[in-house]
Amino acid sequence: MISETLKRIPEYLLAILIIITLNFALPRMMPGDPFLQISGAGGEVGDAYTAEQREYFMAYYGLDRPAGEQFITYLGELSRGDLGFSYYYKESVSNMILRRLPWTLLLVSAATAISLGAGMALGSFAAWRRGRRSERLTYLMMVVFGEIPAFLVGLFLLVLLAAGLGLFPLAGAMSHYTQFDSYGAQLADIMHHAALPVLTLSLARTGSLFLLVRNSLGTILTRDYMRTARAKGLTERRIRWRHAMRNALLPLITRTAMQMGAMVGGAVLVENVFNYPGLGQLMYDAVFVRDYPLLQGIFLVLAITVLAANLLADLLYKRLDPRIAAEVKKQSTGPGIKPVGTGGRNEDL
Amino acid sequence: MTQPDILFAQPEKKTQKTILAANNLSVCYYGENRGIHALHNVSFQLQEKETLGIIGESGSGKTTLALALLGLIEKPHAVLGQALLGEEDMLALQEEEKKKLRWDRIALVFQNSQEVLNPVLSIGEQVEEPLRRHRDLGGKELDEELQKLFSLVGLDYFWQEAYPHQLSGGMRQRVLLAMALSCQPELLIVDEPSTSLDAIARKEILDMLKALQKELGFSMIVISHDLAAMENLVDRLMVLYGGEVLESGPTIPLIENPLHPYTRGLINSSIEVHPYKDLWGIPGEASETTEIPTACAFAGRCTQEIVLCRQSKPALTETTGERAVRCHRGGIISLLQAGAVSKSYKVGKRNIHALQQTDLKLYHGETAALVGTSGSGKSTLAMILAGLIEPDQGEVIFNGHPVYDSKEARQENGIQLVMQDPFSSLSHRLSVAEAVDEPLLINKLGSTEARQERIKEALQAVSLPFDQSFLQRFCHSLSGGQRQRLAIARALVMRPALFIADEITSMLDVSTQANIMRMLKGLQYSRGFTMLYITHDLHLARKVAERIIVLHHGQIVEEGSARKVTEQSCCCHTHGLMEAGLHGEHVHNAG
Repeated sequence: MISETLKRIPEYLLAILIIITLNFALPRMMPGDPFLQISGAGGEVGDAYTAEQREYFMAYYGLDRPAGEQFITYLGELSRGDLGFSYYYKESVSNMILRRLPWTLLLVSAATAISLGAGMALGSFAAWRRGRRSERLTYLMMVVFGEIPAFLVGLFLLVLLAAGLGLFPLAGAMSHYTQFDSYGAQLADIMHHAALPVLTLSLARTGSLFLLVRNSLGTILTRDYMRTARAKGLTERRIRWRHAMRNALLPLITRTAMQMGAMVGGAVLVENVFNYPGLGQLMYDAVFVRDYPLLQGIFLVLAITVLAANLLADLLYKRLDPRIAAEVKKQSTGPGIKPVGTGGRNEDL
Repeated sequence: MTQPDILFAQPEKKTQKTILAANNLSVCYYGENRGIHALHNVSFQLQEKETLGIIGESGSGKTTLALALLGLIEKPHAVLGQALLGEEDMLALQEEEKKKLRWDRIALVFQNSQEVLNPVLSIGEQVEEPLRRHRDLGGKELDEELQKLFSLVGLDYFWQEAYPHQLSGGMRQRVLLAMALSCQPELLIVDEPSTSLDAIARKEILDMLKALQKELGFSMIVISHDLAAMENLVDRLMVLYGGEVLESGPTIPLIENPLHPYTRGLINSSIEVHPYKDLWGIPGEASETTEIPTACAFAGRCTQEIVLCRQSKPALTETTGERAVRCHRGGIISLLQAGAVSKSYKVGKRNIHALQQTDLKLYHGETAALVGTSGSGKSTLAMILAGLIEPDQGEVIFNGHPVYDSKEARQENGIQLVMQDPFSSLSHRLSVAEAVDEPLLINKLGSTEARQERIKEALQAVSLPFDQSFLQRFCHSLSGGQRQRLAIARALVMRPALFIADEITSMLDVSTQANIMRMLKGLQYSRGFTMLYITHDLHLARKVAERIIVLHHGQIVEEGSARKVTEQSCCCHTHGLMEAGLHGEHVHNAG
């Protein structure tokens, strides 16, 4: 299994290289530059810098040199693990990202876990009740929520539950200037703040996972091995989860990994809606002030997060689908085993 | 609803325990807005250690029966009747109770397919699952039991780590078997154990089933269309068609001498039973019954159908030897019976006994071959059967009436004889049209137009041209093959019920012979007449006939299924004939 994964490394490296290039190019393709826009948010272009100052800074940060040269310098710094220095915040990009990253990871991982769990539970519920009224209602709800953009759901929740009813905080990731009696209380506070953003993200993502699980299970239930399981007199729980869901997991994992990019993109929007101090919010600010190094850094970290999720899914899939694992194992188990090349990945229905 | 069919009366001696009693089991599958009756009033009993075989074409309800017995047919589909497993009625129980019985007392070896095992669970886990569930085994005990099961079916234990896709078909069959035996059920249902396996694996599995049954003592229901497998494996056979039992009885007699036309059709289509004969399936296809059938299920495909068959459903009636058949006509009827027929000729002062006390029976729709050396009396018998010559003693009964004075040859649905030599059997002065028209004309059958139509039809059936120029050709201008076809057409124009072919191809070249034989079998297949094929060519006999009758010195010395007669003949003469006829110069001293 390890060697098979090693073979994928060049693919991942190539992906990263392309991402780095895009990260470098995209901010510079935006109109303006850091020292034109730096004067303030909201688009009020002031004259904080005189033409001489601007020229001085451009030369100081090397922005007057040809793009190719800048790129090579950037690559060199990157290879030493140096993400650069924020023009606007005058702080190390790595430090800023490290401070913000955990919040985004919290949102994304919690939303992934919740949408997976909900998708599986509801999908299974629907598959076993196909055609009944309860199933149709679930189906309708899921399609509706899946189709509404995340930030709209977020705004709705914010207005209704936070602003209107005051059940949740309006902004931030935790209460500042507060002493917590215990870690538990602190944790509760963090969860209280994260609840709405996570709920928003989960709602947006559950729909498609629900549909996938429902449809995969629908197919799986007609398979011969399900009849075998029933004939063996197994318990309903075992039939549903061990025999049916175990098979439905395979496409689910692929889908989750493929959705990771959309999930992170959703997180960026949701963080801005809820004023949540994650990478997404920082990115929004950085775009505004054309902070090239910060933008590059954030793009890079987010891209690598998505790639890592894909790699994880790849590894997990191999563990979960014996038909793929066997092809890798075949040398070690000798001639007795004939792997049947089934495209396990085609299970994504 | 018909009245319950009690198939197998419980034996007088009460020593044996009834494992399973199915009473009037009916299954109806409900689809979009119609129901399909997949099983209709099936009843049978199974004693301890007994093996019942169920045969039938696909769609006959075999697998439905297995699923119904396990209570695996769920709503919206309907299951009626009883499936008594000991004292408990599998069908009346709650789902939870059914689950407890499944696999614990009644287990199913599913038909071997890629998907019958869960692809993502290891073999070990799938085999031991029922043990955990029904026997509450765990840990070391479970491992030991699993090892035992694997060795029972001859699988190395390390395979328990494998996944289904890593197994060959034969191994998968073993795994399915081990899985089914895991809780030592009293009743094992085996669905198609030998299909999709190669010859060696097939034999291994069948032997294993037999040995395991002996060792573990379970009762068994084997569902298969592999008749040869059935022959060695099961005590009794039940023939299922359109969800109904058409015939049942002890295995060997049933295969050797089927009572129902459908059973005979099945056997004739089976390459295991007829290894040499050309295979001919049963014409037509079973229709899906959407309402409770009021006619015989086999009507429409049957060769001996009468009006009654379409009007009411026959009951399953017991005959002799624990056999039962569901047929308005009491099973395959005999079309012709010759009883103690003798015939002698005088040559000078000597009496030549051409036939001595010959008995012969021909069944409806069958192809029988009458073989024997020249001079054994074959042609004399053919002429007597057709009523062309009178026997000295004995009589021939055709369709319930005695045959005499070629009456049967003069009417429709009678007997037609085609002889060896087409040059002398057709007058060379007649035109093609006249030759075929002759029997119709003489016997005043139909108007001129109707006769024209029938002539064309008959010529078409034997693949001869039927345009005006050919109709007006004279017989002498035809080749041997064409003349023989013409002779057959002349016989067919009378729509015979019995077609006697006396060495009809012996004067033709091999290619013409092959063409005519195929054509004749095709005609028989589509029109369903009985054929008595007289030949001295054993290869040909074995190729066309399901039954062979051996005539020697004017006496029938042996008769039976083609395979039995050619392979395990019990008579010295037949044996010699077969050795010489079938193995040619390889004759060895077969004591």
